[in-house]
Amino acid sequence: MLENILYILYGYGSAIALGLKYTVIITVTSYSIGIALGLFIALLRVYGSRLPRALLTVFVEIIRGTPMMVQLFFVYYALPELGILLDPVTASIIAIAINSAVYQSEYIRASISAIPYSQFESALSIGLTKFKIVWIVILPQAIRVAIPALVNEAIYLFKYSSIAYFVTAPELMYIGKSIGSKTFLYMEVYIILAFIYIIISILLTELAKIIERRHTVPSFIGSKV
Amino acid sequence: MESNILVVENLWKFYGREVILKNINFTVKRGETKVIIGPSGAGKSTLLRCINLLVRPDRGRIILDGDVITERRDVHNIRSQIGFVFQHFNLFNHLTAIDNVLLGLIKVKKLPREEAMRRAKEALLSVGITEELWRKYPAQLSGGQQQRVAIARAIAMDPKIILFDEPTSALDPELIWEVLNVMEKLSRNGMTMIVVTHELGFAIKVAHEVMFMDGGTIIERGPPNQILLNPKGERIKRFMDRMWYLYSLNRSSKVA
Repeated sequence: MLENILYILYGYGSAIALGLKYTVIITVTSYSIGIALGLFIALLRVYGSRLPRALLTVFVEIIRGTPMMVQLFFVYYALPELGILLDPVTASIIAIAINSAVYQSEYIRASISAIPYSQFESALSIGLTKFKIVWIVILPQAIRVAIPALVNEAIYLFKYSSIAYFVTAPELMYIGKSIGSKTFLYMEVYIILAFIYIIISILLTELAKIIERRHTVPSFIGSKV
Repeated sequence: MESNILVVENLWKFYGREVILKNINFTVKRGETKVIIGPSGAGKSTLLRCINLLVRPDRGRIILDGDVITERRDVHNIRSQIGFVFQHFNLFNHLTAIDNVLLGLIKVKKLPREEAMRRAKEALLSVGITEELWRKYPAQLSGGQQQRVAIARAIAMDPKIILFDEPTSALDPELIWEVLNVMEKLSRNGMTMIVVTHELGFAIKVAHEVMFMDGGTIIERGPPNQILLNPKGERIKRFMDRMWYLYSLNRSSKVA
């Protein structure tokens, strides 16, 4: 078996590397869009006026209540009917980003509500405006609380970006499958893929610990790694 | 220069149907220290919160230094002129002691960094927070130190008045002393202050006037010796008896 693994690595190493590259691109892009959009949704749902709050609540429930696969197929197969044609990678990024945004918005929203109102009140009392309070008093604390959940989301996305396989985006899973069907060495191929996923997940976890340690504040609620 | 820095006129506050503040009237002179005492639920905290507009009064006017602040719309601007010290300190947990003081100077007063730094250090030193504590986070400080940083945060903004909402109620007895000591010094240096507190010793020693509140109104007011030692009304007499009992002090022995 080791022989076969080496055979695949030699013969298809560059294809696997390309697959990994797409997996990373899909993960990083959709995560970044997800966190920015998630922050925006969370802030509007906590501090926004009634209408955007209601609309976003409906949106969040729709996305959370449907499988990511349905959302991906909707973007890739249904949108073309409206004249929106997307390539597999872009479609995957959009679907995963929206899905992730909703989850990340919930993590951030929960951590904002974990910050006691007294912090807001004392910031008001020194004359800060609401906008500045959110930006320089509430969010820096809330994000610290949310770090573990947000990192978890990154690891989750890295693994579940494999869903892009179903719309033929050439990421790791897709490459693996095609190598498998060419060589019939499915066992070896998937062992290699699993190994890659594990290594990167571990690296992300370690990276998270470093981030948390760097931003830790003594005996603050969010400072435990 | 007018001698009254704060005028509160016909102030009313309701929460739903419940009356929290009932026609409150008083004035505070420049440099005066006013102490408010009274049972919990009397409306003391709400009154303080109305003065810096954390709570909007429903009726009445508040005039700060000739400025009718209840009619102003730029509330944050008004609040930057009024210091507020909370019972639970409410320091910003993610910032060090000195950054807590700097925040308002830089983000509200828009002072240049060096000038802000100079004023922050001065304020911290004036409350006895020395250099080795400046880089500590709130959680690394004792309650008394945290409250003194909170006072420094208020002082540094150069406020027209500082409001204290039971500043020592969450502290151990030994730490109460260090906070009261700082407040006494502040009062002697001419800071205008309104202090809600149960510290009778502080009230006797430092207050120019004491107001007793109950049921949302000011029931009695006067010099500390009169209100704390020879109150007139039945309600306040009962309250003071209990307070002095807690203080392990006998009223008659105190008078003599």
